[in-house]
Amino acid sequence: MILLECKELTKKYGNRTALSNINLQIESGHIIGLLGPNGSGKTTLIKLINGLLEPDSGTVCINGKPVGVESKSVISYLPDHTYLNGSMRVRDIMDFFDDFYEDFDSMRAYDMLAKLQINPNHKLKTLSKGTQEKVQLILVMSRRARLYILDEPIAGVDPAARDYILGTILSNYEETASILISTHLISDIENILDEVIFIQNGMLRTHASVDDLRQKEHKSIDTIFREVFKC
Amino acid sequence: MLRKLLKYEWKSVSKILFPLNLGIIVLTVIGCAILTTNIFDTKEALPVALLLVIFYTLSIMSFSGITLVYIYVHFYKNLFTAEGYLWHTLPVARTQLFHSKLLTGCFWCCLNTLFTMLSTAALGFAAGLHAAQKDMDALQRLLMDGSLPTTADSAMAGFSFTDIFGYSPVIFVILLLLTMLTSCISSVLMGYLSILLGQLMEKYRLAASVGFYIGIYLITQTFSSLAMITPNIRLLLDSGNESSSYFLSSFFCTMFPAAIISQLILILIFYFASLFLIRRNINLE
Repeated sequence: MILLECKELTKKYGNRTALSNINLQIESGHIIGLLGPNGSGKTTLIKLINGLLEPDSGTVCINGKPVGVESKSVISYLPDHTYLNGSMRVRDIMDFFDDFYEDFDSMRAYDMLAKLQINPNHKLKTLSKGTQEKVQLILVMSRRARLYILDEPIAGVDPAARDYILGTILSNYEETASILISTHLISDIENILDEVIFIQNGMLRTHASVDDLRQKEHKSIDTIFREVFKC
Repeated sequence: MLRKLLKYEWKSVSKILFPLNLGIIVLTVIGCAILTTNIFDTKEALPVALLLVIFYTLSIMSFSGITLVYIYVHFYKNLFTAEGYLWHTLPVARTQLFHSKLLTGCFWCCLNTLFTMLSTAALGFAAGLHAAQKDMDALQRLLMDGSLPTTADSAMAGFSFTDIFGYSPVIFVILLLLTMLTSCISSVLMGYLSILLGQLMEKYRLAASVGFYIGIYLITQTFSSLAMITPNIRLLLDSGNESSSYFLSSFFCTMFPAAIISQLILILIFYFASLFLIRRNINLE
């Protein structure tokens, strides 16, 4: 079943084209790596899917419907930066998610907080940057969403935290759901990916199964990436 | 969903605006307490009284200014900075987001204006009460119809409230409140519209919003002034031939309807323009 479909998607920032005629289909039950160098258009694509940007032309459909209230209720999105109000307590943020998202599992969220020894009574701004990122990930992964979109979830954290984050992602997503992960750290996530999407200069370069690509090229995805995007 | 949005909006905004408005009440109570004593009866106390009046006026103006600016900043920060990634990905319509912020913003702005008016009235009443304590007839008039004591040589001596202001005290207060409330709503909307217009720019969106605000402010002020002055041109030209009370009552009789109607027109323009922009154009940086 097609979960996400982009047709002829184009986005410009002034005279600069950030995305050009992107045609893309993502089916349920896959983990997809969205890979590309800096400025290739990964975050722009993610923001368009989440309704944070308006396309100049083309369409984005989630479950066959355009971006809107319904699509937002099935997408769980983790931006590449802190987006929560720092003056809120962790508990208040949990309540906030519980109020707005029907698929939010607060038991699961509190369980993860306890495992990480994060006090829910602490204000977000009193936590370290790494802990804040973990709280955001817990919130996003505690939803029983259809599509998880994670923008650079492991960037800027230590290797131990990376393992925890990847473990959290794998152990919490619904098997019928899909995960779209944007990252530069390919070697860290290569083993969990089913598909990869390579984006370069705002254009879709490759969209293929990880196994097919490895078999065809006889190389790891990390090596293929380095060759494709060699400076 | 709008109810949930309003709940969180209320919690978030109240943290700042509740103490701020409490400040007006505290200031008023202190002011009234001072005014009912005899400490300003001597000539030597005049500079201190003057300083206190300046302090009070500046404080009240600051509270109003901070309230309005905070409402604008809150709208901008929530919807167009990093926090926008949270609010715009909630499963709610953009118009609901806008309405939740508009209702909360207007409520606090109107409450602040109401408190400011009540504070000024309370201080005026306390000062009048203190002055009238020495004159029992004046005190009676003050308590019965709110007339402040006037001196015998005053230009307004012998005229009733209706003669001077053109309306009975109750109607005057209702019209004054309506003018203030429509002005509050239009001010909040003007800020929101400026922020939304600023978002149309590729770069320097915040600076563009400030620019739009100044531009819209100048245009609306010109428009409002014309709306209020035009019906009074003949009155202004004939002001030398008419009594002061006739001039004032005629002025208020045309000023209030003109002000309320012009503010209502602005509210409609700002509201529908904002709604159009928030529906059509969201491009977070």
